[in-house]
Amino acid sequence: MHHDFGYFEEESLGKPYDFKLLKRLYPFFRPYKLLLSCSVLLVVFITLLDLSIPYITRIAIDRYIVPKMNSADNISPESKSRYLRVDISEAEIRKIVSKYPDLFKTGRNFAEIPLNKLATLEKKELAVLRIEDLSGVSLITTVFIFIIIAHFGFNFLQVMLMEYTGQMIMHELRLRLFSHIQSLSVPFFSRNPVGRLVTRVTNDVQNMHELFTSVITFVFKDLFLLIGIAGVLLGFNWKLALISFAILPFVLYTSIYFSGQAREAFRDLRIKIAEINTNLSETIGGIKIIQLFRLEKENYNNFKKLNHENYLAGMRQIHVFAVFMPVIEIFGVVAIAIVIFYGGGSVIAGTISLGTLVAFISYMKMFFRPIRDIAEKYNIMQNAMASAERIFLILDNSEKLPKSIPLMESKLKFGLPIKDKIREVAFEDVSFSYVDGENVLKNIHFKIAMGESVAIVGPTGSGKTTLVNLIMRFYKPTSGRVLFNGVPIDEIEILSLRSKIALVAQEPFLFTTSIRDNIAQGNRKISEKRMEQILADSNCKTFIDKLPNGLETTLSEGGGALSSGERQLISIARAFARDPDLILLDEATSYIDSETERKIQEALSNLTKNRTAIIVAHRLSTARSADRIICLHRGRIIETGTHDELMQCRGFYYRLNQLQNL
Amino acid sequence: MKSINLIKPYFVESRLVLFLGLMCLIAVDFLQLFIPRIIKWVIDDLTALRIDLIRLLFYALYIVGLAIMIGVFRYGWRRCLIGTSRRVEEGLRNSLVAHIQTLSASYFDKAKTGDLMAHATNDIQHVRMAVGMGIVAFTDAVVLGAAAIGFMIYINLQLTIIALIPMPMIIFFARFFSKKMHGLYQQVQGAFSDLTENVREGFAGIRIIKAYNRQKETNEKFENISKHYIGKNLKLVRITGSFFPIMILFSNLSLAIVLFLGGRKTILATITAGDFVAFISYIGLMTWPMMAMGWVTSLIQRGVASLDRINKILQTPPMISDIPGAKSIQRVKGSIIFEGVTFFYQSKALPALSDVHIELEPGKILGIVGPPGSGKTTLLNLIPRLFDVSQGRILIDGTDIRKLKVNDLRAQIAFMPQEPFLFDGTICKNIIFNNKITHPELIRITKKVALYDTIQSFSKGFETIVGEKGIILSGGQKQRIVLARALLQKVPILILDDPISQVDAETGSEIIKHLRHRARHQTIIIVSHRLSAVRFADQIIVLDSGRILGSGIHAQLMESNQYYAKTFRLQEIEEELNAS
Repeated sequence: MHHDFGYFEEESLGKPYDFKLLKRLYPFFRPYKLLLSCSVLLVVFITLLDLSIPYITRIAIDRYIVPKMNSADNISPESKSRYLRVDISEAEIRKIVSKYPDLFKTGRNFAEIPLNKLATLEKKELAVLRIEDLSGVSLITTVFIFIIIAHFGFNFLQVMLMEYTGQMIMHELRLRLFSHIQSLSVPFFSRNPVGRLVTRVTNDVQNMHELFTSVITFVFKDLFLLIGIAGVLLGFNWKLALISFAILPFVLYTSIYFSGQAREAFRDLRIKIAEINTNLSETIGGIKIIQLFRLEKENYNNFKKLNHENYLAGMRQIHVFAVFMPVIEIFGVVAIAIVIFYGGGSVIAGTISLGTLVAFISYMKMFFRPIRDIAEKYNIMQNAMASAERIFLILDNSEKLPKSIPLMESKLKFGLPIKDKIREVAFEDVSFSYVDGENVLKNIHFKIAMGESVAIVGPTGSGKTTLVNLIMRFYKPTSGRVLFNGVPIDEIEILSLRSKIALVAQEPFLFTTSIRDNIAQGNRKISEKRMEQILADSNCKTFIDKLPNGLETTLSEGGGALSSGERQLISIARAFARDPDLILLDEATSYIDSETERKIQEALSNLTKNRTAIIVAHRLSTARSADRIICLHRGRIIETGTHDELMQCRGFYYRLNQLQNL
Repeated sequence: MKSINLIKPYFVESRLVLFLGLMCLIAVDFLQLFIPRIIKWVIDDLTALRIDLIRLLFYALYIVGLAIMIGVFRYGWRRCLIGTSRRVEEGLRNSLVAHIQTLSASYFDKAKTGDLMAHATNDIQHVRMAVGMGIVAFTDAVVLGAAAIGFMIYINLQLTIIALIPMPMIIFFARFFSKKMHGLYQQVQGAFSDLTENVREGFAGIRIIKAYNRQKETNEKFENISKHYIGKNLKLVRITGSFFPIMILFSNLSLAIVLFLGGRKTILATITAGDFVAFISYIGLMTWPMMAMGWVTSLIQRGVASLDRINKILQTPPMISDIPGAKSIQRVKGSIIFEGVTFFYQSKALPALSDVHIELEPGKILGIVGPPGSGKTTLLNLIPRLFDVSQGRILIDGTDIRKLKVNDLRAQIAFMPQEPFLFDGTICKNIIFNNKITHPELIRITKKVALYDTIQSFSKGFETIVGEKGIILSGGQKQRIVLARALLQKVPILILDDPISQVDAETGSEIIKHLRHRARHQTIIIVSHRLSAVRFADQIIVLDSGRILGSGIHAQLMESNQYYAKTFRLQEIEEELNAS
């Protein structure tokens, strides 16, 4: 599809190397190490509290609620059953025991009653008999309430802490990515649709939200839980624990298998979403054309097809999960069944207590939740990792893309700052091609001195705009050198160079901010008086005064309701505000009527005094007023000289002039 | 229309699937409830020590059998219910895009691309989550909750009532929090839209940003917007973050009550130990519905906020659409009349056009000139109804264009806008669009606009992919591609907005020559800054500040109109100078 122009091939991303990626993400975590550790510590507390809940139930049952099996010193060993043993040294208890002589069997200083006979006693009597158990339950409930309140507090704190950390990390990542992409040179933007780059900075970073906020802590929590539960179970009864763990290898295998499947499903989904975004941004950008040429149906069908593919990818993902989740669930129940069978047997044999068995079942249920979670989180991780991978692909861009991709501009910042005014611009045998083998400029060689204005003329596609792009260092020559004051452009600090140049591009791009900001471009030093002057010089004053909010009018996307001539005028005002050494005008006059143009020509001639100007001219009148004219044809300079010289030699330029008269 | 009606049709459409899914879900919930029952029997039997290994094995197998059935039904509901949510996603996105395509140009002057993009991806995703997991969690909560409560009542009514005391608190909190969440979610989503739009602008305007060394400022602005987004998120998390722990707290409170009262009751032999354990299991089962209530609330809140935003777009009526009983037309002759046409852009106080009268006969050429911002492009945009007139009317073949079917009207017109827009695709596709055209015709037309040789110079010729917005082509090349696109259409009316502004003089005069040949077959309107492109027109009008300052043929305007004469002389002098 887009492969010819070096777009990222989303489909061919290799298997993500999670560990490597995590390692690369580490620098983003580093500033938040302390917060992260606190969060993990909190998770440990929360896990311990989580674990303590079934444990408390177990204590409550074994110690207070269900009497122990008194097999050793059983008074009636003939029938194996549970008895409540009471101390008869207390008068009240003695009274009750003596009331039911057939129920109690009395020993030296205690009496025993079978558990199933307890119900025949009166409630009040039972309360007296089991006063200690009752107060024990009260005590344990109090402890329990403290635990759950602490649990709540820790939980809330942990969520807040993690969200803050996660958001900050994402913020850093976004900033890093945004400024990195901005620092990439122009060819990168020619190759990558804006929609896709936007997805990287917004959705792909957002995608990592769960990784930063929940996954990391949850993985810790789940691991603690797993280890903790395994430990507790082994401590309760290692034999029973080991037998119930027999199921684990199957669980492990299934998890690994399904996470592989899920990864594929997620990846398909992400690719589809990116395609949908690109299509959508084009639909919105080209809406007028779509409506005028009645392409609605066709465009809609295209979109529908993409959208349906996205649906199918979604269904595949659902299928994977719909199989995986129940399978893990089944394993969990099988483990419980094992506990019931084997553990129940042990209870009968008297090797473990009933409370232990209950706790075992509770823990077993808890044991499978983290396993399922980890598998699920692993998939979220995969999703996040796929995003991380794409993000790093961009962050790595400067090295990874092939030949004609230039170096990242930040590297150029280390060049020499240009302290003087720009005295001279020179092209030394410069050739350039956007696509290999299709040279747009061929062996361009010229010099421009300070104060000189040079017009570049030639048929469309002859390379005029490209030439300007090379001066701005938007692109790097394929061969040859561009020199400023005799210094190769590669060795000059790019920011300081550009600060001395004002560009008026072919298609005016205005920002969604006030007209004032669009003109001043962040330069707060521009006084009101100077601004007035700029507006007058650039002929903006008349139409800006007509706007209800004047200079403070906020422009909507792309300049909105301003006419293209007005937008062009604003972009010229922007150049005025810059007060540059070198002016690059790229067909700036094409949308402007002759009258306005004449005024601008006047202003420009003021501005070009003591400054250098390179003007891409379509109108020969523009060329005429220049000190020198360079004629380009198919990427070559075919003629150069003043208007009169060129007219005399009756060549290409002369012919162009003749044609204009028809 | 209420937002919810947007997703209703999908529920109706997939009602069988939904029904099946819900049945599976309910089956799962009920089967799940049996597991604590079995565990209760095991415990009771073990407490009474009246069980043997065979019976234990029987119980164990029973549980496994249940688990497998649960597994099958689980697959069923996931597939059916979550599948439906994907269907809703697809449908919503389709209707959103279909609707966006019908919206008129004035809407896009105000709406931001990034914003619209966010609607089509993030917001729809939120709706999907709310629909899919929303149904599941809600049903789960109701069914599991009700069943668990039922079983608990069966064991002990009093204990059940007391254990469920925290429940009303949960409902109270859920309502309280969800109200707060709704607003906060909208803020978060709004902030995300701003973020997206900011990023888009930062990349789309990269050349100017670089040329004016604005990276630092753009980064700072982005940082602020990103921080703003974080702030909104943290505000939201203060609510969502406390929501879940509170739900857990309440469910644990129930557990504490069971522990205390249930423990006492067991000790006092009102309930058996097995009942007690089962009770704890049921409370455990209740935890999920309780938490689900919380989760569902936040999911649904987010979904509703998103659905509202989508609905807002879908409810934006296309400013321009067929009126009831709109006339369909086959092929007009091509007479165009403007009767007292006045037009305001919404954002502006002054009219872009005021009281414009034009009469143009079929097969004639109208030239429009005037300074920038005088309303030339606006005037052209009114003819294919990209905008509708504010006052007055425009007639084609004597019929008010608002009484025609929009699609039919536009089918009469070939329009070349001022700024060439290309779609990512081949050159060929960008020229012919959906027209049926033979290859020789394509070659003929590209030769006419001096494009053929250029295209042939590309290694892939007509199959060259132009990249997003035709990024690999020069301005002039793009202009000629869209010109070819317009010229190729065999329609009665041809509208050209500054067709030769970016081509050289030689090509320009070739193109104009070609246009003059076409005139008898087509009514042509040309806006141009180069007066040489319109001087031969049958009628020329001069616009200034939205008013017609003069009209007539070239010779008349040279006499009567100062602007025209001045501009023409100026250009003439230039040409003379060039010739000398």
